[in-house]
Amino acid sequence: MSNKNSAVHAKKAEIFCQDEARVDWHSKALWTVREKRDRAAGSLPEWEQLRQIGSEMKLHTLTNLGQYLEEFEKNCLENGIQVHWAKDGAEHNRIVHKILADKKVKKLVKSKSMLTEECHLNPYLEGHGIEVIDTDLGERIIQLAGQPPSHIVLPAIHLKRGEVGDLFHEKIGTEAGASDPFYLTRAARAHLREQFLSADAAMTGVNMAVADKGAVVVCTNEGNADMGANLPKLQLHSMGIDKVVPDIDSASTLLRMLARNATGQPVTTYSSFYRGPQEGGEMHVIIVDNGRTDMLKDKILAESLKCIRCGGCLNTCPVYRRSGGHSYNYTIPGPIGIAVGAQSDDTNSIPWACTLCGSCSYVCPTKVPLDKIIHHHRRLKAEAGKLPYGKSSYMPLVGNFMASETMLNCSMSVARTALKVLPGSLLKPFSGAWGKYRELPTAPNSSFEAWFKKNRG
Amino acid sequence: MRIALFIPCLVNQMMPDVGIATLELLEKLGHQVILPKGQTCCGQPMTNSGCFNEAKKTTLKLLNAFKGVECDAIVCPAASCLVAAKENFHEFDSSPEAQAVIDKLYELTEFLHDVSPIPAFSKPFPHKISLQMSCHGIRMLDLATPSEQMGPRNNKVEAVLAQIPQIEIVYPDRRDECCGFGGTFALDEGAVSGKMGKDKAQAHAATGAAYAVGFDPSCLLHIDGMIKRQKLPIQIRHIAQVLNAAL
Repeated sequence: MSNKNSAVHAKKAEIFCQDEARVDWHSKALWTVREKRDRAAGSLPEWEQLRQIGSEMKLHTLTNLGQYLEEFEKNCLENGIQVHWAKDGAEHNRIVHKILADKKVKKLVKSKSMLTEECHLNPYLEGHGIEVIDTDLGERIIQLAGQPPSHIVLPAIHLKRGEVGDLFHEKIGTEAGASDPFYLTRAARAHLREQFLSADAAMTGVNMAVADKGAVVVCTNEGNADMGANLPKLQLHSMGIDKVVPDIDSASTLLRMLARNATGQPVTTYSSFYRGPQEGGEMHVIIVDNGRTDMLKDKILAESLKCIRCGGCLNTCPVYRRSGGHSYNYTIPGPIGIAVGAQSDDTNSIPWACTLCGSCSYVCPTKVPLDKIIHHHRRLKAEAGKLPYGKSSYMPLVGNFMASETMLNCSMSVARTALKVLPGSLLKPFSGAWGKYRELPTAPNSSFEAWFKKNRG
Repeated sequence: MRIALFIPCLVNQMMPDVGIATLELLEKLGHQVILPKGQTCCGQPMTNSGCFNEAKKTTLKLLNAFKGVECDAIVCPAASCLVAAKENFHEFDSSPEAQAVIDKLYELTEFLHDVSPIPAFSKPFPHKISLQMSCHGIRMLDLATPSEQMGPRNNKVEAVLAQIPQIEIVYPDRRDECCGFGGTFALDEGAVSGKMGKDKAQAHAATGAAYAVGFDPSCLLHIDGMIKRQKLPIQIRHIAQVLNAAL
């Protein structure tokens, strides 16, 4: 599941950081979203209570997952919805293709779905001659640019408006140099309207699947999922097994937090419940595992399946904001991307793209203990002998060194002397990343222990 | 009270003044202070890297330094090391003796707020200070309500410092965003760590405060390196140094 250009996170982040003005812009844009989230969450006196209920409800559902999935399937079938089960991304893609091929679909309009990104559905379908149009504005921008999303809710957040203007000029014929968001959005709207009207089928992701109603909930701000699902006669909805919730009350609890935590809105503009095909149409739901059952077997990793994909953890993450979504060797970036993607990260570096500050865990609306999960991934990688940054060679040395008082005291005393007597220009090359970005510390005369012995001993 | 000092390796070797201020202020408050021998690293650089085997030896050695030591509390002037010591002691030793040590562990601010409050300060500290709300202290030790959390707010750090006459307490923009130190993160992810530190140093300086004051020496050392690289008109101080100066 790695990108073509696999590289350790630190390397990609270093490249991203070379343009400091861009880092500042990116970090500020996302921090502004975090601030909006704080205001929206703070407007509900029961916010922390909602998080607790959300967390417990998701844990309960995951604990009884088989039962709720079967209930969901049964009620879907009663509602005339066809249900498919896929054990992995490849099977998901084959199922989707078969449904589309049976109906001789030439063009599919798709609304936002991180699952289909995870399964790499677009290239698969395109390889089989089906045109796929992403209809979420941000998704369409990155599709036209030939890039993966850099954020799970704001997929084109890494692009500036001028860059979108240039892209639209080249791809959909807007005026050269135009970068006014209103003008560009109107142009995208006209362009997408043609796609909706000429599509043979529509596909959406699923925010929640309501077990006792046999319904799927799809949230968008642009209405593109609804435009798609209501125009062609064939509609498909892909969902991970973790998306099921027991009932409408559970779904409503999550809905109250989803948009507030994602963008600071009280609720998404469109929160649609689909519980059956349109007249004379067909509705399919594809339920995908793709590694989720394996994750459930580890009780720490299992909690990452409580996630409702609001993106709040990305917005608050100080590392994500300064390294960009494309620096993570996984479809989903940021803290939740590390949590669900670390196992398939062949660079074995993304669990270390984190300071363990814990902000994400406190932002999370369902209390996914992200810092704990990331820390756990490091341990799993270490136990599997998959450490990055030369850690496997230097960590045992550090372990022995730190455990020996004599070694620690002697060498630190040498280091203190070196810091005192040698010029900075001579020391910097030996101090690695520390001296590259910071000044070296001023060396004290003695250790505290030596001072204590002299003054209190 | 009889207090055993837990002086993390970074403080012992690189910031002895923080250890001295901690000792002096506890003595001024009438406590008897001892320094148990044989203290090593808490193991955090290793466990935070995922390397638990490598951490075991040093963690147990540190734990043994405190086992059986006669004292009412073990006080540490470094929040992150304290959290790691608690977790790592628990990870590697489940004996009642280990639990007895864990139960006595306090971070300095926590101790001064929860256990032994300072009755009065004798000197003013007529300066503006910008508080460095380091991550592990607030999100793992509850020293203050993190900005992400809604509802009633609590701030032990401000509560302890606010009693000092003439002190002015302010906060940097993005008040509890991580400074980017993160232990080995500072070396593994140098570019991002450096940028985070630069932003944090500038945010503290932008408040116009004379000092950036915090309870976590490692974060302070990182921010200090950034302040000096940027040549910013602000200095770092550990909370123990500010409290000691006012006693």
